[in-house]
Amino acid sequence: MLQTLRVGIIGDYNPESRYHVATDAALGHAAAALSISLTPSWIPTPSMERGPVETRLKSFDALWCSPGSPYKSMDGALQAIQFAREKGWPFVGT
Amino acid sequence: MGKTQTVRFRPGSLIHSAYGRGEATEQFACNYGFNPRFRGKIEGGQLKVTGVGPDGELRAVEITGHPFYVATLFLPQTSSTRENPHPLIVAYLKAALAFRTSAERKL
Repeated sequence: MLQTLRVGIIGDYNPESRYHVATDAALGHAAAALSISLTPSWIPTPSMERGPVETRLKSFDALWCSPGSPYKSMDGALQAIQFAREKGWPFVGT
Repeated sequence: MGKTQTVRFRPGSLIHSAYGRGEATEQFACNYGFNPRFRGKIEGGQLKVTGVGPDGELRAVEITGHPFYVATLFLPQTSSTRENPHPLIVAYLKAALAFRTSAERKL
C-alpha cells in the first residue's frame, strides 16, 4: 500500500490559473516519482482569518503557499504562513 | 509574459541540496516582483537568502533549523513534468514524509 501525504495549498483555487493547475500537476509528478499517494487540498484564504488557524491546518503533512496574490484574504494567508514557520510544518512558498 | 532566468544557490543550503547542483534555469510569472506575503517572513529575521539572480537579486530564501521552509520568487511547478519532476518539490515531499512520522509533529 502506498504511503499517503496530505498537502494543504494556501490559496483561492482558480481553475483558469495556469499556475494553480501547474501546482497540482507538479505535486502529482513528484509524488509519482516517490511512489506515494498525495491528496492536495486547496485552503481558501478567508477560512484562516478566524483562529485558531492550527485547527484548520494541523491535519496536513505539509503546506504550500500558492502563487496568485492578491488573495481574497491576505490576513488569512499570512496566518497560515506564520503557523508553518512557528510550528515547524514543512512549507514551500512559490 | 513571464521570463526565464538563471538562479544560483548558496552552497550548503537546503535548496542547493534539493537540486544537487549550484544553479538552475527557472521560470517567473509576469508580475513576480515584491510580494507582500514575503513581508512577514523577512520581518521574522530568520530568513537567509539562498537563491540569487545573475546580478545578485533575491530569488529564494529559507529558514535554517526548520524541517523545510523555502520560498522562491520563481515557479518550479511550471517546469515540472512527469518525466522530470521538479527536484525542489521532490525534496519538499520527502521532508513532508519524514515530518509525518516524526516526533516533531506535536499537534
